[in-house]
Amino acid sequence: MCGMVQSSLFSQLASVNPALSACLRETAEYLAAPGATRLSEQQRALALGVARRLIGDAADLLGGAVDSRALWQDWGTQGIPDAERIAALCFARAEEYRWREESAPDGGEAADAPAEPGPEAPMPDALAADDPLAAIDRAYLALRIADRRRFDALGHPRIALDDLDPDLLRALLLDIAAWQLVRTGKDAAEAALLGEAVRAALARHRPERGIDAAARAYHAALEAAGALPDSAAAAIARHDWPALIALAAAAHNYRYDEMALALITAEPAQLAPLLAPLLRDHAALAPLEGALATLRNRAAASAMPDDYAAALQVRATALGDGTS
Amino acid sequence: MTGSIVRGRIDRAGLLVSADAPLQRLQQRAGAGLGKPLALPHLARLAALAQRLQREINRPLVAADDHGDVHALVRILPDAEGASIEIGDWRTRPMVQPQIPPVTEPAAAAPQAWVWESDLQLRMIALHAGAEAAAVPEDWEGRSLSELFELQPDEDGRFPVLQALARQTRFAGQRVRAGGADGKRAMVLAGEPRFDATGGFTGFRGTALPDAEARPAPAALADPAFGSLPLSDPAFGRRIDGALRGPLARIIATAETISGQFDGPIRADYARYAGDIAHAGRHLLGLVDDLADLQNIERPGFQAARDEIDLGDLARRAVGLLGMKAEEKGIRISAPPADEHMPATGEFRRVLQVLLNLLGNAIRYSPEDSQIWIRLDRQGDRATVTVADQGQGISAEQQAVVFEKFERLGRTDSGGSGLGLYIARRLAHAMEGDLTVDSAPGQGARFTLSLPARD
Repeated sequence: MCGMVQSSLFSQLASVNPALSACLRETAEYLAAPGATRLSEQQRALALGVARRLIGDAADLLGGAVDSRALWQDWGTQGIPDAERIAALCFARAEEYRWREESAPDGGEAADAPAEPGPEAPMPDALAADDPLAAIDRAYLALRIADRRRFDALGHPRIALDDLDPDLLRALLLDIAAWQLVRTGKDAAEAALLGEAVRAALARHRPERGIDAAARAYHAALEAAGALPDSAAAAIARHDWPALIALAAAAHNYRYDEMALALITAEPAQLAPLLAPLLRDHAALAPLEGALATLRNRAAASAMPDDYAAALQVRATALGDGTS
Repeated sequence: MTGSIVRGRIDRAGLLVSADAPLQRLQQRAGAGLGKPLALPHLARLAALAQRLQREINRPLVAADDHGDVHALVRILPDAEGASIEIGDWRTRPMVQPQIPPVTEPAAAAPQAWVWESDLQLRMIALHAGAEAAAVPEDWEGRSLSELFELQPDEDGRFPVLQALARQTRFAGQRVRAGGADGKRAMVLAGEPRFDATGGFTGFRGTALPDAEARPAPAALADPAFGSLPLSDPAFGRRIDGALRGPLARIIATAETISGQFDGPIRADYARYAGDIAHAGRHLLGLVDDLADLQNIERPGFQAARDEIDLGDLARRAVGLLGMKAEEKGIRISAPPADEHMPATGEFRRVLQVLLNLLGNAIRYSPEDSQIWIRLDRQGDRATVTVADQGQGISAEQQAVVFEKFERLGRTDSGGSGLGLYIARRLAHAMEGDLTVDSAPGQGARFTLSLPARD
């Protein structure tokens, strides 16, 4: 009797209080699998920041038609429509950023100068235009430019719109246009303008400027010069993860962000086959394994054994159903 | 080296066998000690270099200490048993230099700022404009930083960004003029070096902020022949001569020293940069000479001396002075034979100056492996010397203006000031002679200096 009253009151409270409902649901999931890997505060903040910048950039793509601040205020509170379709992208970008930050010299992309300047730093000489090394140099420069588009002015991670799948960009732009239309009262003229803005934005979408195109070009230039293995090994030694991800993605014909997540979540034993098309000597993997091993809260498969994870998931679902 | 000297000694294997206390402490904090290899990588590399070359090396040294970087000057004297190390001008600096704000902090967040990033060759890989900043140029991607930002020297004539590039350190206060979507603007650059996991320099990340203390840009010259510059002021030539010649000579000498790697090997690209600096310095020095000449010959009452000269002798002297330059391009110069003479009247050094100008131009604008002829002639009371080349030639329209001030026939290279032929013809006139050109496109050019003949 007493238990029923309590349960009923919890349910009633939760039914009128979404915050409480969410807390109870999260508590139930946590208690059902206390050892499971969950997002850290840093991971949440990074992924949310990536999503915010993505939505802001996409809104800005529609010209002055959409108030991107108001849009985020709304979606940030109410939730992003169809969040699943951008969740993996945002998580992959956030995790790649975290990996690069944590394995950068002195612990950050904006690291101080090392104590000693490196006179041996590779500084390619000026090269003739038809020199294969010049092609590699140009392709690497283009890759770095494409990579830096994936940061904002303050160095925060973002997803460059040119890197987005065209269908995803279209869906995102249409959602933003729909939000604007609802906000302004579904005016027909406004709808036409927004439709035109979406079409214009899609016409300006240039995947050939994106990181995937740059990755393929860099891979092709190195392959043509027979320099793939050495360059991949050097990228690992230098912790030049964008170059490594780009080469691996191009070698497997994956997207850059997919390959980034594949590497970040890989077990040590999975790295060798993943990078087999690039590397001759598996000893070159050591710095990569080391950098991944020190990445905290990494979503590697071994973080949760398969059968145990499945059991926990069932229990979490069952308990979650009972409290919400 | 000034101040107290910290000494140490390494053996042939590079082991530190003795050291004064500061060096020993540094070695210990780097995880080694006496009898161990030098644990300060920069110093170890310099020591190895000195031993390999078996010659003294003097270099700046940077070493990491617990709470800061040690900056010093090191001299390494190799001998048969190893090498002696002398470290002077030992200064410890905090790792973060407070006068240079990290760009990821307030400077980058300033709404008026541009935030930029370059690769190790100073090519732009990122450029963002703050919310209230001027729009960035559209074609910045991959362009050189020095192309995008017109670098201005500081009060000491230095370029902080270039110094920082050489030392791979932070910099600030680099004044620039930057082209934006709406014209040129004065800005100040600051930047921090970026390094990869192996310590390799990968480029700079920095800010460009509007220069609040910018001086107005020099007004465009109203008249290509100096406009409002006080050429009529006899002191002007002396002033530019005195003010520029000394510093330029020092720049050239220092750049030549670096380029020639007289103090030991340096990276090939740095040597090339130094060569470029020396080249630019020589060009500027030539311009100073030309401006001083211009001021001189345009002075009312300018007269050349009437020396008894031999155009054959002067032509051979000019070939002697510029023969090496011609050889570098595989150009053969057919000079008058030693027994050919052409007596004339004119000022010896001015005629030589004219011939050097004509021959220099011929070498500069001749194709490689071509030929230049110098011929002497006598036409009535005129003695002539003609310099002919196999260059691309000069059209009739160009011939009409080639002796104008600052006329470079559309050339934009750093070859000359566009004053040389103007000055040469003025000098010829001052010596009661003339300088003429005869050419056709594709046929090469023939410049003829005529002077009063002498029997």
